[in-house]
Amino acid sequence: MVSWKKTGVALGGALLMLSGCAGFTTGDETEEETALEEEGVEIVDFWTFWGSETRRPIIDKIVADFNESQDEIEVVHSYYPWGDIWTKELAAIGAGDPPDVVINDINATALRGMEGQAESLTAIMGNNDISERFYPELWEATLYEGESYGLPFNTDTRMLFYNKDAFEEVGLDPEAPPATWAELEEFALMLDEKAGEEYERIGFYPLWGVGYDVWLTNLNGENYIDQEGNVSLATEENAEVLNWLKSWRDRLGADTVDSFKAKFESNQGHPFLSGELGMMIANMNFYTQIRDYAPDLNFGVAPIPEYEPGNGFTSWGGGFVAEIPKGSDSPEAALEFMKYLTDVEAQTYWAVQNFDIVANREAAELAAQSEEFSEDGRMVYEAGTENMEHTILTPVPTVAPDFYTLVNPEVDEFLLGEQTAEEALQNAQEAVEALVEQNQ
Amino acid sequence: MNKRFLTHKQKEGLAGYIFVMPFIVGFIALTGGPLVFSFIASFTNYNVASDMEFIGIENYAQLFTADQIFMTALWNTVYFVLFSVPLTTLGALFLAALLNQDVPGMRVFRTIYYLPAVLSGVGVYLLWMQLLDPTTGLINIALGWFGIDGPNWLFDPDWTKPSLILMKMWSVGGSMLLYLASMQGISKSLYEAAEIDGASGWKKFIFITVPMVTPIIFFDLVTSTIGAFQIFQEAYVMTSNGEGGPANSLLFYNLYLWNKAFEAFDMGYAMAMSWVLFVIVFVITIFNLKLAPRWVHYEGGDDK
Repeated sequence: MVSWKKTGVALGGALLMLSGCAGFTTGDETEEETALEEEGVEIVDFWTFWGSETRRPIIDKIVADFNESQDEIEVVHSYYPWGDIWTKELAAIGAGDPPDVVINDINATALRGMEGQAESLTAIMGNNDISERFYPELWEATLYEGESYGLPFNTDTRMLFYNKDAFEEVGLDPEAPPATWAELEEFALMLDEKAGEEYERIGFYPLWGVGYDVWLTNLNGENYIDQEGNVSLATEENAEVLNWLKSWRDRLGADTVDSFKAKFESNQGHPFLSGELGMMIANMNFYTQIRDYAPDLNFGVAPIPEYEPGNGFTSWGGGFVAEIPKGSDSPEAALEFMKYLTDVEAQTYWAVQNFDIVANREAAELAAQSEEFSEDGRMVYEAGTENMEHTILTPVPTVAPDFYTLVNPEVDEFLLGEQTAEEALQNAQEAVEALVEQNQ
Repeated sequence: MNKRFLTHKQKEGLAGYIFVMPFIVGFIALTGGPLVFSFIASFTNYNVASDMEFIGIENYAQLFTADQIFMTALWNTVYFVLFSVPLTTLGALFLAALLNQDVPGMRVFRTIYYLPAVLSGVGVYLLWMQLLDPTTGLINIALGWFGIDGPNWLFDPDWTKPSLILMKMWSVGGSMLLYLASMQGISKSLYEAAEIDGASGWKKFIFITVPMVTPIIFFDLVTSTIGAFQIFQEAYVMTSNGEGGPANSLLFYNLYLWNKAFEAFDMGYAMAMSWVLFVIVFVITIFNLKLAPRWVHYEGGDDK
């Protein structure tokens, strides 16, 4: 009898504990936030992956500035690791209790719009007037069926870094970086330096810093798959590009290429920083590595050379947007904050502190003149902002968001010598077309 | 109230149920619900946020008829299971046999061999990426001492899966401990009897040690097979952008599933994939269980 009672109590206790779980939906709010909410202040839950020692204080300062600038909205910033943040966001959307603003990948913004993961900002604002402040290429990437699903925050661009001292040493004009692929190859051969069989300096290798896709983009001036899912991979020119890329590997030798590649991971041993590499393509903010680890390096920066004169210096960029996950309970307040986040003041601050190209055009141009940059810093930043006119983004087509899983392995097999460039491109073309078909 | 409301036996039974309650409740609420949901959603175009329309067996049909990558991913995973499970089982067994000897300083050796099992996760993978580096990695440097030109490990599609299997071999310490515990429980009298009959060390190992630890071998086989089918982290961490390595050679089943779910947001498709994997693992496990009585020896058991 007594034991029966006890078990009953235990059972009841267990049930209570379980039912208690249902009350946890607001469990992540602090008392302070609840108190603010009672006063009528709207809480905006803001998720980023900027948790590093360098970035966190910068974004926290921007948030604090916004919170101080008015008293209706209180933004609460939470950091989630890069590998987790978007799966957590998706789970939160599915559970109906998402954050209010999330920083997300710009190239899949339209996809998230189509999938119903993000709120249409155009619907909240009633128009797209805000587009004026951004680089048009970035704004375009946020649109799905004419409506915007995110405000561009920052971006980047790939450029050619070259070692001016090495140029001078081999008799090249340090103020005249290569402008075409032919020049690139010519200069690279001049910059190569061998001691016996070993390379002491490699002039250039096209697949360090960027992938084959950037070279295809540079040739074509556009991605090989468009927003409707039309694929243009299997062309003679593309095959030529792949063969050109492979010819570098064949000439230098796989061992040399692989052993150099391993060095890129360390800052001190980085071949460009140590002068073992004459030219390389890198994200414009590679400059911060030069600044921090090889301050005496005499370098220049230029657009990626064009395929042929007149073909265009097309480069590739990515970036991030601030967006409102579907189901946010304070979308208007969230949008207010996002406007602040993408306005000149916050954007200039971010640009200067992080050496990032920001999406707000005016801010990027202001940052390029910043007194806080060194002379080299201003030079690179300005070249970066100028390069934005050549820079395109490659938003994923909504009908084949994971197209690259079909293309990359085919190109890998080509580079490993297991099939010809034509075969690789043909296989990839057919595979992506099948995926598009499947998803339409 | 009636004192004989429950008999003693019923009370005991009830208490038993109450003790397993946390598991049952957890299973139903936390695992069972999602399980049923994923089964239902595998017949839809579910994308978490907006769509959930019934599309019949289209996801399954697509997997088996149209999706080449699915076959690649399945093959990669089967390859990994086929090599890693027997190798790690044998490795653990032999290691345990070695560490079961009576030599001075054995505790130190046991600690050393068990250490890798304590370390886990991403840190270990990053460490192995450095070890496996073709030019600066310790493994190829060591091979170089013997005049062997080491492979490109994680960069050569033919060597990527062997790389991971090698890495798994390094951390057999966990199951080694189970074997060791079981070996220590084997009665000395069996070995003494064998010695009187003049059995060699090897014969004692084959005819006494191995049969006596078959229950652990069986357990190890079943759990490591299931675990090997679920390989994900290794490939996600050790390939650039978690894309599955050179020429998709490390695109394992669960990695492809993850990409479908969280890159393409094709959650229904991913759920269909998870059910296909479930069926595969289920069939293999049943097969294992049916086969077990033929070779697993339970001490003092009644042939069950």
